[in-house]
Amino acid sequence: MPEASGLQSLFTVAWRLMWRDWRGGELRLLFFALVLAVTSVTGIALFTDRLERALLLESANMLAADRVLHSPEPPPGEINAEAVRRGFRTASTLSFTSMAFSDTGNMLVAAKAVSDAYPLRGEVITTMQPFTRGAPVAHGPPPGEVWLESRVLPALGLAVGDRVFVGETELTLGAVIIAEPDRGQGGIVDNAGPRLMLHMDDVAATNVIQLGSRVSYRSLFSHDDFDRLDEFEQWVRDSFDGNYYIRDVREESEEVAEALDRAEGYLLLGSLFAVLLAGLAIALGARRYSERHYDYVAILKTLGCTSRRISSIYLLIQLQLAAMAVLLGSGLGYLVHEGILRALRASLQVDLPPPGAQPYLVGALTAFICLLAFALPPLLALRETPPLRVLRKDLTQTRFSDRIPYAFGIAGSIFLILWYSQDLVLTSLLVLGVAGAGLLLSLVSLLFLASSGSAGMKAGNAWKLAMTAVRRRRRHNVLQVMVFAVTIMSLLILGLLRTDLIADWQAQLPEDTPNLFMMNVTGAQVEDIEAFFAENEVDANAFYPLVSARVRTVNGAEPEPAEEAADGEGGGSLLENNQLEPADSADAATGSGESADAEGRRVRGRLSRRQVTWSNELPPDNRVTLGEWWGDASRPGFVSIDEEYADWLDLEIGDILEFEINQQFVSAEIANFRSVRWDNMQPNFFIIFSPGTIDHLGATFLSTVRLESGQKLLLNDLIRQFPTIVVVEVDALIEQIQTIISQVTSAIELIFALVLVAGALVLLACVSASLDERFHENAILRTLGAGRKLILTSLLIEFSFIGAVAGVIATLGAEGGLFYLQEQVFEQDFQLHYWVWLAGPALGTAIIAALGVNSTRKVVNTSPLTVLRRVV
Amino acid sequence: MIRTSGLTKRVPTSEGELTILEDIDLHIENGERVAIVGASGSGKSTLLGLMAGLDTATSGEIWLHGRKLSAMGEEQRALLRAQAVGFVFQTFQLLPSLTALENVMLPIELKGDSGAGEKARDLLGRVGLADRWHHYPNQLSGGEQQRVAIARAFATNAPILFADEPTGNLDTATGGKVIDILFELNREFDTTLVLVTHDERLAHQCDRMIKLAAGRIAGEESRVEAAHA
Repeated sequence: MPEASGLQSLFTVAWRLMWRDWRGGELRLLFFALVLAVTSVTGIALFTDRLERALLLESANMLAADRVLHSPEPPPGEINAEAVRRGFRTASTLSFTSMAFSDTGNMLVAAKAVSDAYPLRGEVITTMQPFTRGAPVAHGPPPGEVWLESRVLPALGLAVGDRVFVGETELTLGAVIIAEPDRGQGGIVDNAGPRLMLHMDDVAATNVIQLGSRVSYRSLFSHDDFDRLDEFEQWVRDSFDGNYYIRDVREESEEVAEALDRAEGYLLLGSLFAVLLAGLAIALGARRYSERHYDYVAILKTLGCTSRRISSIYLLIQLQLAAMAVLLGSGLGYLVHEGILRALRASLQVDLPPPGAQPYLVGALTAFICLLAFALPPLLALRETPPLRVLRKDLTQTRFSDRIPYAFGIAGSIFLILWYSQDLVLTSLLVLGVAGAGLLLSLVSLLFLASSGSAGMKAGNAWKLAMTAVRRRRRHNVLQVMVFAVTIMSLLILGLLRTDLIADWQAQLPEDTPNLFMMNVTGAQVEDIEAFFAENEVDANAFYPLVSARVRTVNGAEPEPAEEAADGEGGGSLLENNQLEPADSADAATGSGESADAEGRRVRGRLSRRQVTWSNELPPDNRVTLGEWWGDASRPGFVSIDEEYADWLDLEIGDILEFEINQQFVSAEIANFRSVRWDNMQPNFFIIFSPGTIDHLGATFLSTVRLESGQKLLLNDLIRQFPTIVVVEVDALIEQIQTIISQVTSAIELIFALVLVAGALVLLACVSASLDERFHENAILRTLGAGRKLILTSLLIEFSFIGAVAGVIATLGAEGGLFYLQEQVFEQDFQLHYWVWLAGPALGTAIIAALGVNSTRKVVNTSPLTVLRRVV
Repeated sequence: MIRTSGLTKRVPTSEGELTILEDIDLHIENGERVAIVGASGSGKSTLLGLMAGLDTATSGEIWLHGRKLSAMGEEQRALLRAQAVGFVFQTFQLLPSLTALENVMLPIELKGDSGAGEKARDLLGRVGLADRWHHYPNQLSGGEQQRVAIARAFATNAPILFADEPTGNLDTATGGKVIDILFELNREFDTTLVLVTHDERLAHQCDRMIKLAAGRIAGEESRVEAAHA
């Protein structure tokens, strides 16, 4: 047979078979499952790709740049020169605390000098009248001008155009600052008072910066190519032996990093579930398709078709199908991601870069991997169908084990998980967990469906007929129950996780989240400040004592921190950044200077100085992970440590830590480790002592309060009455996190909808997989005189029972899976969802019964002869 | 053309080996029409499957179209079937998703020959289905389906035709018409016909009748002998 014409004829036959099978409905399920896999992955990949860029761009607004370099002294000129050489946009800022004077008064301000190009990302919002809505401008003040935050103007009796004195120079008030992009960044120097912004060229004239002054230099870099930013970051690290670090928003702000990480974690999990469920639907669809093609293959073989050509025909069919699925799925994926972006248009305030080709490639590759892993094994097994089947229907292929498709499916799933997560440990854990759960759930479902050993179909009674059918098909039903259970479990997990995650996020930043931090409060001032707030009808929060402490020894030896923390640990939360200040807050309040140690490496910061506290009560959102909290019955001499900090120093419960506090040495035994939510905008501490341990060493106090925008003027009175306290405003940071949460919540909703569709397809595929046998059996029953009602009722009972068992198992699995995911991955507190224990089985029963009866009711509406002809 | 020697087929069962055919020696000449008859379970269809290379024997030899089947693998046997064998089955064995025309075109296309459509239309016309070419099997009656199957069997000009109970699913009148068509095309294409049937009247239309009973050849009768009997 000529090769070329042979190949052409193969294409012709494959195309015709595919087209005819499509028209006959044989391929639809398989095709839609493939389309769904491509749509889910392409849509999610496009969305995450663009969202990631959007979030990074928007988050970059928080830095006023894509990358930032902090230093307590002017950074080496080569860094800026290299950035310019690489085509980066650059700018610089210099922060310091100072006093601003007017003709009528003075005020401590957080001064920031900016260069011409500032800000590289985001905009400064300014206005001409304090406390009014402003308009964005893409630059800072020109030389000779200062811009001030609204509340400075009434405090100093100023209006735009008036003179303001800063140090030895006199500047003109050019505008009122309503917002600046990087307001939430920096430590106390940047947040110690209302903002005064001036041009970099005017700094020298002020003569404020002296040797030893506390200043913070920030070099800003921006480029549209994220890869080039990463390369530059590496260059700085390599060229300066790790003395200078360039950071992005994740490293700058732990609060934002946590929100982004959780969002990405959920998106990843969602896309994984969608693809795996689609894979399951593909496997089931392919299996049913192949089972219905045994006869085709046997006929083709009698017509002289070799096994190799059979494989080629079915491979071609699948490739043609996959190509169409990729085309359609890519288009739908694009629409899905456009839909999400449209929904998020209100909260996405940046122009998104156009999507690249990679998400489409990922979608197409997923289709082919799904096909290879889930569809091809049963289809290729067709080649082993004996031609003798044309004479003997009972013959099927025997060389391929039934388990081979499962093995391919499992291998494909593992590959997909690894590919998407790029995390071998997570993949291994997931695979082990799923394998263990699968085994356990199989045993449970086998138990549920255990045979009573009775004989016959018990066709006189619908209940007995259904139950004997369940038992007779026990092996098949275990598989079916497992598939139903896994699908319902996936939906429950994602659904509950979505609800819990969103609720947790929203709870973490409720409407009354404090937007002011007050530090450097003396013990004597606490009562007066409380009275001040009471008078002004503001709800004040508890005061935490603060002491600056340093870990000196661990069990009498020098502490040995783990190496990994030295890299990329320089940022920390805003609150932690403030606590990292090695000098105590009294220094900061008086603006006497800021230690070089504070900026930069957290490692040294962690070891050199911590702001620690003591308390009887576990702070909100803290969770004891090991050991026990001391509670009201506390004794002096114990300490509680943040678990990451404990890991970093390799600490264990019972270890004795010696601290240096105000030049005195104090030892304490570690009583427990805590997990700390750094993104909850509440006071958080790495180290908490039991009361009575360090109380005598003197402390200042820290508290938080929420002031609505209309109450902001109270700040002036507060600072006037208590001039030594330091007030840090965190509104910008809260707003940023809330925006991220709102965007991600919408995304999560849409991804959940995609997973729902995938789950529905799996359920449909699984019900369809058992249709032929049920059709045949019930057609025979009907020919023997069984009534429509008996068959329908028995089908309803059978599917309801399978659905109920699957629902119970799914609930068990979902709660187990949620326990792991919430506790280990998303760092949430796990709580049993009692309603799910009723809803899971009810959901399983209702969905499977409805799907099953709907799919099989044709058996009672079609003549038995037609059914038998079709199946035989 | 077709020869078997000591052909034996046994299959394992839960109660030990079951002998379906034992020590079958046959010789069928080119162009001969041979009927294999016997009661249900006598091993007729198994013998047909073995001779056509659809199955392998436990022992013994088969030569088909000058090739020794026992020395060939499944792939080689498939290629031999493509070149030399046509089939007609009791249950028609048409692909339900293909039209009548496409079913007839299929073996021609698989063989890689050109002009499949034209030849298939011609054959469908010869079996009286010229106006039904676009119908699917489930839109055709049993007799019509069998006629499509006959057209398909002759589509590649295969020199040997195996027919397994070709009238088994048809009423007498329809079965008669189908057999007329089968024999007519058989004469025209000068094919060797091996017909498995339990219908002795049909068998008597063949040149020779081989009787099987309990897996063994129980007797042989030629048409000349039958006519004299």
